[in-house]
Amino acid sequence: MAQGLHDVVSGTVAGVGASGPTPALYELDGVAFAIGRQTILPGLSLRLEQGRIYGLVGPNGSGKSTLVRILARQQPPSAGSIRFLGQNLAGFGARPLARAVAYMPQFTPPAEGMTVRELVTLGRFPWHGALGRFGEHDAAKVAEALAETGLERFADRLVDTLSGGERQRAWLAMMLAQDTRCLLLDEPTSALDIAHQAEMLDLVRALSRARGIGAVIVLHDINMAARLCDEILALRGGSLVARGAPEAIMRPDVLSDLYGIAMGIVPHPATGEPIGFLQ
Amino acid sequence: MAERGVPMPRRLLLWGGLTLAAACLSALRIADPVAGASGTWAQAEALEQVILFHSVLPRMAMAIVCGAALGLAGALLQRVLRNPVAEPSTLGVSAGAQLALTVATLHAPGLMEAAREGVALAGGLGAVGLILALTWRRGLEPVAVALAGMMVALTATTASAALILANGEYMFSLFIWGGGSLAQQSWGPCIAIAGRLALGFAAALLLLRPLAILGLDDSRARSLGVATVATRLAVIGIAVWLAASVTAEVGVIGFVGLAAPALASLGGVRRLGAKLVAAPLVGALLLWLTDGLVQLLAGVGGERVPTGAATALLGGPLLLWLLLRARMFEWPRFDARPAPVRRARNPAGMIALLGALALAAAALALALGRGPEGWTLAGGPLLADLLGWRGPRVAVAAAAGAMLAAAGTVLQRVTGNPLAGPEVLGVGTGAGVGLAVALFALSAPGFAIELAASAAGAVAVLAGILVLSRRPGFGAERLLMAGIAAGALCSAVLTAVIATGSPQAFQLLRWLSGSTNDATPAKAWLCLGTAAVLLAPLPFMVRWLTVLPLGDETARAVGLPVHRCRTILVVLAALLTATAALVVGPLSFVGLIAPHLARLLGLGRPAAQTGGAILIGIGLMVMSDWLARTAAFPYQLPLGLFASLLAGPYLVWLLGRTGPRSR
Repeated sequence: MAQGLHDVVSGTVAGVGASGPTPALYELDGVAFAIGRQTILPGLSLRLEQGRIYGLVGPNGSGKSTLVRILARQQPPSAGSIRFLGQNLAGFGARPLARAVAYMPQFTPPAEGMTVRELVTLGRFPWHGALGRFGEHDAAKVAEALAETGLERFADRLVDTLSGGERQRAWLAMMLAQDTRCLLLDEPTSALDIAHQAEMLDLVRALSRARGIGAVIVLHDINMAARLCDEILALRGGSLVARGAPEAIMRPDVLSDLYGIAMGIVPHPATGEPIGFLQ
Repeated sequence: MAERGVPMPRRLLLWGGLTLAAACLSALRIADPVAGASGTWAQAEALEQVILFHSVLPRMAMAIVCGAALGLAGALLQRVLRNPVAEPSTLGVSAGAQLALTVATLHAPGLMEAAREGVALAGGLGAVGLILALTWRRGLEPVAVALAGMMVALTATTASAALILANGEYMFSLFIWGGGSLAQQSWGPCIAIAGRLALGFAAALLLLRPLAILGLDDSRARSLGVATVATRLAVIGIAVWLAASVTAEVGVIGFVGLAAPALASLGGVRRLGAKLVAAPLVGALLLWLTDGLVQLLAGVGGERVPTGAATALLGGPLLLWLLLRARMFEWPRFDARPAPVRRARNPAGMIALLGALALAAAALALALGRGPEGWTLAGGPLLADLLGWRGPRVAVAAAAGAMLAAAGTVLQRVTGNPLAGPEVLGVGTGAGVGLAVALFALSAPGFAIELAASAAGAVAVLAGILVLSRRPGFGAERLLMAGIAAGALCSAVLTAVIATGSPQAFQLLRWLSGSTNDATPAKAWLCLGTAAVLLAPLPFMVRWLTVLPLGDETARAVGLPVHRCRTILVVLAALLTATAALVVGPLSFVGLIAPHLARLLGLGRPAAQTGGAILIGIGLMVMSDWLARTAAFPYQLPLGLFASLLAGPYLVWLLGRTGPRSR
């Protein structure tokens, strides 16, 4: 049964792909979001391509998390339309969508009394559903996700007993087991020290490249974003104020405008990559 | 956050309007103190004078004074415990005082005459002391306090009910009093309470500054030089004294202490000093208004509803409404995460062991009994004879235990809250309200109709909670609050119905204390059948139960239709609880502790945990029933009460064991 469902989804995606040029990962048209009278996103139109890593940056309250939640369909937009792989996002069923998009919330819940392997196994739920058989293909995908995140030796440990960095990797492994076309991560590094931040983001980049899947990542640290992403989207007050390759964003004028504080750029002593700093 | 409340002019209009309404209701009573009295004009005139000055006016004053005292007590407790659900009735003060008074009435009537207030205070302090002792090691964490308070309050209430039941119908008046009747014959009690209110208020003002700092966390308060423990105990002492005095004079009046501070915050009062003034004022207004309405309805010829029950009737919906728009509360994170438990190496073996233990318990309950000549182990033909009597009881207890344990496991997993259980969500008492409706609407409802009615009551309560929980940002802590509110609301309705003293009321009282005495083979088969039907779908829902504890976001992210799954599971839990509650009463805590025990034994995966919990529930309930039958032979103790007495110590241990949240 799992195999059958797999075919359905790949069939859909392939069908769309065949009908023209490669469809965009996401196409947003006038996407707005408001709570009561408070507007968070006034109206956003943009296009994200498949297989690329996008970084969402911006000051606090700029709507980064909201945008990612809307992309993950955790929250419906108040207005506007979203096309995902050429199809209307709202039209996807719950499980077909979860087979195509994996989302990690900003605060991962405590996985009380669950082992790492059990958590990663949950990533197969969109494929086998509530009653379908957990088959060999599913087991292989779980094993692959554990191997790719280097968690094999932790597989039978309780998630509660892991360190922050290991726990975050366990959640990433669950997303990989979902075997999706795209990863959405909301500040995956906020609780980690700098070494684990770098490790986590390098892992995301390597996996995204290896599997050829796209990623949209909310990041607080502009330098981390520049180091990791193919393209940076800068949000301020819910509007896209700048967009481009890291070199285009990492400029004193752009950053000063974005964060509302004077910033400068120096080249990395070893690699020459631009590094932002407060003036 | 005051800006988020109602705008100022509308707010004033609202409070002014409510005060006006209360005043009008009172004016109505003053204008016509003896509605429908007969006799000559002169006689009536004189009688009117007497009643006005010795009954109507004191009652009015009493409502205002008691409301103010409870409002102050609630505001103090909420502040000092940093807990929005702290109030005299949720902390067990009122129930403890009521139990002490009931015991004193039965066993030391002289003491009641001499030191009524002292008895009440002792009971109230006992209850609060127990709760504080239980939760001290967890730093008086709000959720632990709320749970311990509910436990103590429920147990005390049930114990009171059992005592009243055991002593015949003449104790009924005690129950009516227990519902909080404000009727007065003189000014004495009113003046006494007013004096205590003044003293309490003065003491609270003296403690104002340390209290303001106690709203922060303890370490910060200590670093600012506040003697946290001494101040906290002093403030709690004042609040308990105020509440116990009120309980001693008029009985249990719920919700005023909860609603008054909350309404004061909603009305835009933020500073502590202002709140200590506003909360008593709002409390006084609430009780005054409620009492006016109760008297108005009684005048129309309605049944005698104690005001204390009516406040909960008004307060329950109020609290639910408040929960919907409450953003001004600083919600503490209700998060009681137990320490990780190592997995059992062989879950199947563990489940087999639990099954064997449950079977052994059933065999013991069937064979071993106590008679006039002492203990007898029945065998052969004697056992066959006794089976007809003991069989149904054991079957009913086992079915109820299995259903409660399954419902508890489901609810704990659906809400992701280890403290959720059938009792905590108010489903059991909801079933009681459904039962009450059936008993009053039909002359002699059969067991099946009673079952349907109590299921409807339980589902109605749960549906209300679910509707609330669909709102964005409605987390486990608010679900718990809503459950406590719903439970208190239903308890109040039950108290009000029981206070009518009708034959149906007696039936409800029996139900409340939980009894399997009247189990018949037909009832046993129906129970077992219902249990089998309701438990059958659980194996197909195991994956839902795995995903849901991780929260809505994760569940949605892996493609689970969250709302549909949660609705189905919660309705199932409600049906299980309602069926069980119908035969063993609303109280047992088996549904709360069986899933924990299963987890502690290392059964961590949902299927194993559910199976283990069901077997533990069966074993616990059968043992409780056997003990209830034999412990005080020839008397039969109420099963529900007995089961909670067994479960209580475990919960105490659990609360002491799980450390405070570490993050």
